[in-house]
Amino acid sequence: MSVTENIYEPKPAVLERVVDEIDEVKTFYWRFIDESEQRRFLERFEPGQFAQVSIFGHGEFPASLPPSPTEGELFFTVRKVGSATSAMHEMGPGAVFGVRGPYGNGFKMESYAGMNLVFVAGGIGMIPLRSCIVYALANREMFGDVKVFYGAREPRGLMYMPLWREYEESKDVECHLTVDKADAEWSGHVGVVGSLFKKRDVNLTSKNTVAFVCGPPVMFRFVIRDLKTLGFSDSQIISTLERYMKCGVGKCGHCCIGVAYVCVDGPVFTYKQIKQLGEDI
Amino acid sequence: MRARIIQRESVLEIIDILRREGYDVAAPFRGRGRDTFFDLVTDANKDDVRVHLPNPYYPPKRFVLPHIERMMNIKCDDGGCCVQPETDVTPLAVFGIRSCDVAGIQHLDRFYLDRDFKDVYYERRRDNLFLVNVVCTDIENDIDEMCFCMCADTGPAARGHFDLQLMDLGEVFMVVAGSAKGEKLFEHRIFEKADAAHVEKRREILAGVRRAFKKKVSWFSAAVRLVSRGGVSEQTWEEIGNRCLECGGCTYVCPACTCFTVSDRCSAAGEVERVRIWDSCALSGYTRMAGGFNPRKAVHDRRNRRFFRKLAHYFVQRELSVACVGCGRCENVCHGNIGMPSVVEILRRSSAGM
Ligand SMILES: Cc1cc2nc3c(=O)[nH]c(=O)nc-3n(C[C@H](O)[C@H](O)[C@H](O)COP(=O)(O)OP(=O)(O)OC[C@H]3O[C@@H](n4cnc5c(N)ncnc54)[C@H](O)[C@@H]3O)c2cc1C
Ligand code: SF4
Ligand code: FES
Repeated sequence: MSVTENIYEPKPAVLERVVDEIDEVKTFYWRFIDESEQRRFLERFEPGQFAQVSIFGHGEFPASLPPSPTEGELFFTVRKVGSATSAMHEMGPGAVFGVRGPYGNGFKMESYAGMNLVFVAGGIGMIPLRSCIVYALANREMFGDVKVFYGAREPRGLMYMPLWREYEESKDVECHLTVDKADAEWSGHVGVVGSLFKKRDVNLTSKNTVAFVCGPPVMFRFVIRDLKTLGFSDSQIISTLERYMKCGVGKCGHCCIGVAYVCVDGPVFTYKQIKQLGEDI
Repeated sequence: MRARIIQRESVLEIIDILRREGYDVAAPFRGRGRDTFFDLVTDANKDDVRVHLPNPYYPPKRFVLPHIERMMNIKCDDGGCCVQPETDVTPLAVFGIRSCDVAGIQHLDRFYLDRDFKDVYYERRRDNLFLVNVVCTDIENDIDEMCFCMCADTGPAARGHFDLQLMDLGEVFMVVAGSAKGEKLFEHRIFEKADAAHVEKRREILAGVRRAFKKKVSWFSAAVRLVSRGGVSEQTWEEIGNRCLECGGCTYVCPACTCFTVSDRCSAAGEVERVRIWDSCALSGYTRMAGGFNPRKAVHDRRNRRFFRKLAHYFVQRELSVACVGCGRCENVCHGNIGMPSVVEILRRSSAGM
């Protein structure tokens, strides 16, 4: 008889370095203490999946995996909102915490081979999308045009800036940034994310294209409206759902909406599926 | 044959045998008033075990899925952190579990063990669990007007999933083995041969009990149909939701509810225990997220959720069992009279346009 794996057991991991991303948001680079665990995880995870992070004594929470499997490095980008995330923000290099996963369905990037990809993110909605943007560019020949639209309330709300600066120079990808409110140093576009679609140098069509959209509920609703005006159908729009999660493996029940357990059937869904699930974003 | 008889005065000896074989045995007792409960049998209380009594509100589910359960111990010091999971493998027998509650455990098996991920805590306890089912035959004591196992097709006599099943035939009890473990007990001398007359008597008694149920038909399958195809109006859900006081009672007495939350507690210096605790979809904190956003803000959205999860065809098909076993407990404890049988009735009325 095979021994059942304990799906709830976090594996010890060590924090290597911490980078301030934006206000209240930090990126934590880490690795599993056990080498074989590290290898297993790197081989397994796919863009759009998440992991359960344990800050011992403070609790466990789901966090997206923003790295692409092609980067060979593991990190989380975490916003400080409550007890466990605040405790994580107190941690420095060398600190030990727990991770289990990877979980969820992921974006299944192979199924979009040959298509044009559009990424639209607002604020920290970029965390789950970062993974598939980097993945798409690492497998550039697999896809058609790749366009990134990223907006935040203000310039210091934009995460992963070095990456966008690099992409702005690249011929492989179109990268458009915007802020709702500029500051003295900002010389780029000003306006909500959707306003980027109307920029003169942007030529966005729905033909053979799939749009990945992540961001706060209000932004999501407006972007959906704009994409639909451009001819995108509900099944050409893909997003991730966030729900309160306690287990990540389909047992605790918290994430269950409609007929789906977001942790195992999601978190990635088409907009068509989201509408069928029948709950607010 | 997998059936035997046992003399009435020897029935509780089954408990002695199980205890001698190393099982902790939980059995039903009477408290004060209507209160009845399952408790561990000891030398001191063993004569107080009752075979016929109102089914305890707090279901025996907790013997495989404890209300609060330690999952692991975590020790941290300068040298790092050590995670030590803890599973319970104590052999445990539940004597006197009713057919509806047996069906509850069958549902938990489907839910915790049959999907992509297996729950190791549940699995270990389940592997070491022995179930002695008692068929409800005492119309005065065993059954009340809320019982609807006949509608849920789980009782009064479970068709399987027990190790032993006892049925009161008067002077003797009929004993049926439902597993190899159960059949093994027949080696003991208290079990005697059953004959055709016993089988006939069993059939007769069961037919009589079936007639005694107040709720013989229900629109259970109609409710499944309605809920599955989204045929229940928002107004009907609101009517149901308005009656919910959000006490969570229905979920805590439910033998088929599976939800839990997880929490870390500091036990000793530098030591943390991670526990899981039953949780309830009736409570508003159940789905509240960071920033206060709650996708199920309205009470009726949460009640809708509970009944949808239990009745939608999609889930019935996925688990091959319904997450409602007809025990009637939710109807008994609900202040707002919206236990499952009432809700099924409300759904029926609404669809009939009444
Ligand atoms: C699939 C998924 C991926 C996520 N990815 C990221 C990520 O990459 N980076 C990031 O910063 N955050 C992410 N989140 C949100 C993150 O899980 C919550 O912010 C975190 O659980 C809060 O934990 P806490 O202990 O700090 O808060 P608590 O002290 O537990 O609670 C503070 C507040 O957060 C709410 N909350 C608690 N748990 C959750 C939860 N699981 N989801 C939403 N709200 C919750 C509470 O109800 C309360 O309102 C993700 C959530 C999901 C479901
Ligand atoms: S028992 Fe009744 S009042 Fe209490 S939470 Fe359940 S439905 Fe609501
Ligand atoms: S997070 Fe526990 S069931 Fe999805």
